[in-house]
Amino acid sequence: MLLFNNKKEKMKNEKYISVNENDDGIDRAGFLKCMAWAGTGLFCIMSGGVMKSFGMSQLIDKNIGALKKGLLLPKADFTFAQISDSHIGFNKPANPDVLGTLQAAIGKINAMPTAPSFILHTGDLSHLAQADEFDTLDQAMKSAKTGKIFYVPGEHDVLNDNGKQYLQRYGKDTKGDGWYSFDYKGVHFIGLVNVVNTAEGGLGVLGNEQLEWLEKDVKGLSSSTPIIVFAHIPLWEVYPQWGWGTRDSAQALSYLKRFGSVSVLNGHIHQTLQKVEGNITFHTATSTAFPQPQPGTAPAAGPMKVPAEQLRSLLGVTSVNYVEHNHTLAITDTPLIAAKETKMENQ
Amino acid sequence: MQVSRKYGVLIGMAIVVIAGIAAVPAPSNEYKNLKVLPKDISTKDLSRIMIDEFEDGLGVSCGFCHAEEKDSHKLDYASDENPEKEIARLMMKMTLDVNEKYFQVPHPLIGDSVLSIKCMTCHKGQPRPGETE
Repeated sequence: MLLFNNKKEKMKNEKYISVNENDDGIDRAGFLKCMAWAGTGLFCIMSGGVMKSFGMSQLIDKNIGALKKGLLLPKADFTFAQISDSHIGFNKPANPDVLGTLQAAIGKINAMPTAPSFILHTGDLSHLAQADEFDTLDQAMKSAKTGKIFYVPGEHDVLNDNGKQYLQRYGKDTKGDGWYSFDYKGVHFIGLVNVVNTAEGGLGVLGNEQLEWLEKDVKGLSSSTPIIVFAHIPLWEVYPQWGWGTRDSAQALSYLKRFGSVSVLNGHIHQTLQKVEGNITFHTATSTAFPQPQPGTAPAAGPMKVPAEQLRSLLGVTSVNYVEHNHTLAITDTPLIAAKETKMENQ
Repeated sequence: MQVSRKYGVLIGMAIVVIAGIAAVPAPSNEYKNLKVLPKDISTKDLSRIMIDEFEDGLGVSCGFCHAEEKDSHKLDYASDENPEKEIARLMMKMTLDVNEKYFQVPHPLIGDSVLSIKCMTCHKGQPRPGETE
């Protein structure tokens, strides 16, 4: 075994190994590199099918943890927020208080100048799909000042039972494993499930039944209808080596090519990434629980421990402003640390 | 007479209690094919092992060891069709043996925080130790 090879000399003089000098494989430099990259977040404006993005460092004054003076949120007909990967039940050093950071994310939402019309939670509500974990999440989400909360499951929500418990709790009026769509003020929202079926390497799978449903769901829509798709695992190949992609997403996206404005919101990778491909803008959100390393910068994906004082700058909430008349969509990723200050600024 | 009536009541109560205890079914779960992990393991403990030891420790998802159901991509958790599952069992046995024999951990259990050697010790987030991307 690896440990024995490394400790041969030590073992020669010892009858038993008394100390396990475990190495987590991630060094401090790697942490800092990832933090700088993931903690900045993005501010995005989509117009005519093209999304323009701005780093949060351009918007947030790091000294006060709030929007820089003179900046205003774009005027919107309605707003909604996205939160993701709450992992209620997780209790490791990467974040021993996931409920506290979820509550901080909700605090951020509640501090918005205007309450969002609804919240999208893009999965991994729980860490181990336990009833008490779902109960805790539900209780916390009740404090969010919003009209409604829409969910899609993450792979942690469907452990062991292929998502039966998730469906019982959150799947009312949904199809199949929990997919659905709804319209709000001219925008068509589609919640997809890509965590119940699996593919080699941990990639997400939508499956034929859901793909057929999606094709029919958008068939009758005008090409000028703005589309917002949300699902847990990214619908683009972020880093397939870590399972950060969906095997049959290309087929799903082919049904959306004729639309002028398509935004895809995902979670799973616990960090902000954005990509524009033709008429489609892909956006992944930070987690409310713990950060993960930048693709390829660590041996594997997984909870990443960072200094306690820096944790909240890597967690966050995404808010979206939608302006109906020119179909502009603005997405802002806000680190949790800004919540308190923003609230004060708005009072 | 009063004494015997008292005993009678006590014996009756004892019978009710014993019968009640016997009527409570033993803790069970729906797992049908556990061979290394305890058969009466709770869903929470089993899920924690799957996430901490395998997903985080080996950087794999459920489908790495669990076979798919016939005619679907859903997982059949009880199936032994995927040969990786048997390898996982062997590795769990080896891990328990190493902890007991070389680290003197009494009655080691996979997922127990007192273990000196865990999956992560060698795998470090990789399906096969020593592999690099």
